[in-house]
Amino acid sequence: MRGIYTEKMLEKLLFQSLIGLSFSMYLWLLAAGLTLVFGVLGVLNFAHGSLFMLGAYATFTLYGKLGLNFWLSIALSLISVGIIGAILERLFIRRIYDIDLAYQLILTFGFILIFDDLVKMIWGGVAMIPPMPSFFEGNLSVLGRPFPIYNLFIILAGIAVAIILWLILEKTWWGRMIRASASDREMASAIGINIPILFTTVFVFAAMLAALGGALGTPVRVVAPGIGTAMIIQAFVITVIGGLGNLKGAFVGALIVGILTSFGILLFPVFELFIIFVVMAIILMVKPEGLFGK
Amino acid sequence: MMKLKIFLLAALILFLLFLPAFAGKYLLYMTIHILILSVFALGFNLLLGYTGLLSFGQAGFFAMGAYASAKILLVVPSLLLGTIAGMVAGGISALVLGYLCVRHTRIYFSMLTLSFGMMIYSLAWKWREVTGGDDGLVGIPRAPFDIPGILSINMNPMGNYYYFVLVISLIAIFILYRIVNSPFGLTLKGIRDSENRVAFAGISIRNYRLLSFTIAGLYAGLAGSFLPPLENTVTPPLAHWTHSAEPVMVTLLGGIHTFSGPIVGSVLFYLIKDIIVRYTQYWLIWFGSIVVFLVLVFRGGIVIFFTERIWPLLKKQQRR
Amino acid sequence: MAKKITRRKFLKGAVMGGVALGTGLGGYRVTYGQAKKSAGPIKIGGQGAISGAHADYGWQMMAGATLAAEQINLKGGILGRKLEMKFMDEELKPATAVKNARYFVTDWGADFLFGIDSSGSAMAIGPVLPELNRLFFFTHAATHRLTEELVAGKGIKQIFRMVAPVYQDALAAWVFKDNPEIKRWAGINCDYEYGYVAWNLFKENIKKFRPDVEFVAAAWAPFWTMDFSSHISAVMAEKPDAIFSTPWAGEGVMLLRQALMLGVFDKIQAWWQGMGGSVDLLEGISREVAGDKFKGKLWATARYIHNYPSTPDNKAFVEAFRKRWGKFPNYSAEGSYSAIYAIKAGAEKAKSIETAKVGAALEGMELKTPAGPRLIRKEDHQAVYTVPAGRVMMSPDYPLPILGDLKVIPANDYFRNPPFTPVAATK
Repeated sequence: MRGIYTEKMLEKLLFQSLIGLSFSMYLWLLAAGLTLVFGVLGVLNFAHGSLFMLGAYATFTLYGKLGLNFWLSIALSLISVGIIGAILERLFIRRIYDIDLAYQLILTFGFILIFDDLVKMIWGGVAMIPPMPSFFEGNLSVLGRPFPIYNLFIILAGIAVAIILWLILEKTWWGRMIRASASDREMASAIGINIPILFTTVFVFAAMLAALGGALGTPVRVVAPGIGTAMIIQAFVITVIGGLGNLKGAFVGALIVGILTSFGILLFPVFELFIIFVVMAIILMVKPEGLFGK
Repeated sequence: MMKLKIFLLAALILFLLFLPAFAGKYLLYMTIHILILSVFALGFNLLLGYTGLLSFGQAGFFAMGAYASAKILLVVPSLLLGTIAGMVAGGISALVLGYLCVRHTRIYFSMLTLSFGMMIYSLAWKWREVTGGDDGLVGIPRAPFDIPGILSINMNPMGNYYYFVLVISLIAIFILYRIVNSPFGLTLKGIRDSENRVAFAGISIRNYRLLSFTIAGLYAGLAGSFLPPLENTVTPPLAHWTHSAEPVMVTLLGGIHTFSGPIVGSVLFYLIKDIIVRYTQYWLIWFGSIVVFLVLVFRGGIVIFFTERIWPLLKKQQRR
Repeated sequence: MAKKITRRKFLKGAVMGGVALGTGLGGYRVTYGQAKKSAGPIKIGGQGAISGAHADYGWQMMAGATLAAEQINLKGGILGRKLEMKFMDEELKPATAVKNARYFVTDWGADFLFGIDSSGSAMAIGPVLPELNRLFFFTHAATHRLTEELVAGKGIKQIFRMVAPVYQDALAAWVFKDNPEIKRWAGINCDYEYGYVAWNLFKENIKKFRPDVEFVAAAWAPFWTMDFSSHISAVMAEKPDAIFSTPWAGEGVMLLRQALMLGVFDKIQAWWQGMGGSVDLLEGISREVAGDKFKGKLWATARYIHNYPSTPDNKAFVEAFRKRWGKFPNYSAEGSYSAIYAIKAGAEKAKSIETAKVGAALEGMELKTPAGPRLIRKEDHQAVYTVPAGRVMMSPDYPLPILGDLKVIPANDYFRNPPFTPVAATK
């Protein structure tokens, strides 16, 4: 009797973790840019979630409203959010590199408010959701239960981004510059790296990662004012768990938070929020530099 | 110079004392809110401005104070008891959690305080037998100010409650002023500016930080305890991180290295928001723009930050 | 040197504070003078969520109330006085809601108040109303405690609720009591008071009709849940026959879309979406309904639906609303529209706009509203009116899905009645 119970439970947990995995990937795309910007620019960007939201709105407009091709819409969204990121970095973020953390948080918090209201002005307050692209409709059978093809796609996309990011950082000239300036900005500057341009490109790249998360979410998650802010604290938790500025850590942190949330909903539905913060507090107390920090 | 300072201070206090004579109910109500935020932010600034620690979970202690005071007032109708309970709750929880937080600094400290604040938030939300869940505790009376056998003042008129909050806030502000100018306060600044030097002087930095954290918690609890009698309600959003952002914002706007900075910031904060929301439903965009503008262009706080923190560092390097 | 800086800084701070206080005071005093007046327009202060993911609900309130005020003003106002309206953001935050209410009454000079989306905000405002001495017409907040505890229990007579409370969600018990094939129920509910009470009221009631039903699983979603897959898969693991769910607005849309992706509608007999009859939610799933993705298994209700009752009154309201705003009204629009007309009816019966008189006049009154006759129950100031449940479907008469196959159950059957016994509100 007990054996059957545990076997069934194991199956449930396995399925639940697969579901949690797809949730983790949105978190990962958001946290990746957050931690990259912190690691290289030294800025903790509260408004990073707003870039996620802008990516979602752009994709919704291009794909859902104007009926463009799904992939083309995502590509154009990334470009437009990238441009917004460049403007943001050049005009504002640039001025707060060397300012105390508190000022960075408050300035970028101001941008959260601005972006939330801007999208309400342009798109209205109704939560919207475009149709699913037809090639993603339907589901597979996993452990005898239906599992959406789209969730599988999200998981693969998240992993692909992780691999591409690793390749960029390890194998390209740009990646080497990023790593050099993350470990020692003055030294990097001394060996002739153009720091201002490097920072702008990193910020734009991070903005595009966030926009990608938002864009990929549009067919399943609604677009509404504030969807980015709703996730930004979770993204903070992830970057801290993984180690600030550490991409590998952000990936693992996203997996932990996503799957833990998913388990929490199944097993102890009362305190799932509480548990996430307990985990973060414990990691901070035991290993403040995070799981993968130096 | 000193004379002018005292004169201005006296004028301000006189103004506040006579406010009920000519102000309407709403202005009194808003002034109470400004006083609450000022006390809250002043305590917070003992941490940020004087100790160099950015707490992002102060709302948790504010909420502890508010809930404790509410719980007491629902049982015993004594305003003073509620206030004391709030202070104690804020102070004790800060002492306990502070013990775990103060061994870290910089962003690690901020994140740790954020997580404790959010734990208090989720407790307020989920421990419904005690906190009333998201509907909160309702029907909290504005109990009389009562010292048995000596006096009992009815607090129902807004003017009376205003005086209660004003007097206690002024006392609290005065005490804090003395604290930051005491040897203790100077040591805190020393720790902020140069941790190693103070450590060499044989001082337990951690204990100083913990004491500073506890005082900040006491002030947050006190500020929180003013709220339930005013609003008759306490609800979980009081503990949310967005509420923790308020003292951060007003302190930065006012300037972190001046004693009066948080007070000035609180006045500005309520004034800006209260005026904008009357005229537009798109108040977030205006408020956000003003915040960005103040941080970037009006560098009142930031100038001070440079003169007191970066400047001495530079000078020290030159000397070397 | 250091001392000099401190002094200069202090001075700067003090002057800034003085200037700030001065400007503020000027602003307040100008408006304060208007607070006590007897002639001039009747001022009505409304508030709802007009920022964030639920912003449409506050907008609908504003739209409904504005329409009513314009109609009334066109016909000469109330007791010969025009109506003036102002609407503010409650941010779903109790503290903001209370501040707004105080501002409206003690500074702007409001004679009546209405609105509020969040239950927490409603519970916070309620106890302040005796001090403010104004009637407040709640037009969305659904917690039963507002009318049961604060009005019937504590006797706060300034509270009126124009829309159906959480009782409406439990209507599912009456809708599905005659389906013997549905035995195993699971819940996906909001992780706050509203969700707990709706789920418990439903359980309590269906158990009375059907002692054989089981409640096999429950998942809880806090505000701002963007991904319901975990919740859905957690309850589907228990193989339920039907699902009872309460997430509303955009969250309801997401929940249903994600349930489709997880193939839920192939496995269950019925899905009850408490506030699924709200126009914004129906709009969000219109493509799926048109494609019959829900296989006719999706049932819902709301606090008002625009296609019921088919009376001239209701048709005229929907027409006027569409003409004015280019949209269909949802329940918070109809509730706010009716609230303004309730103010008119009450004031005209009392021949005064004094709080106590209008309040007394409204007690026990039956109002003619778009949603049909609304009885303002004397004991708890709850408007009692019938809203049917129905199957979500397309209709040739409307561009968006509607509730069809309506099941009309009299409000008296499914509303709780005074004297009230506490509802179990545990998870």
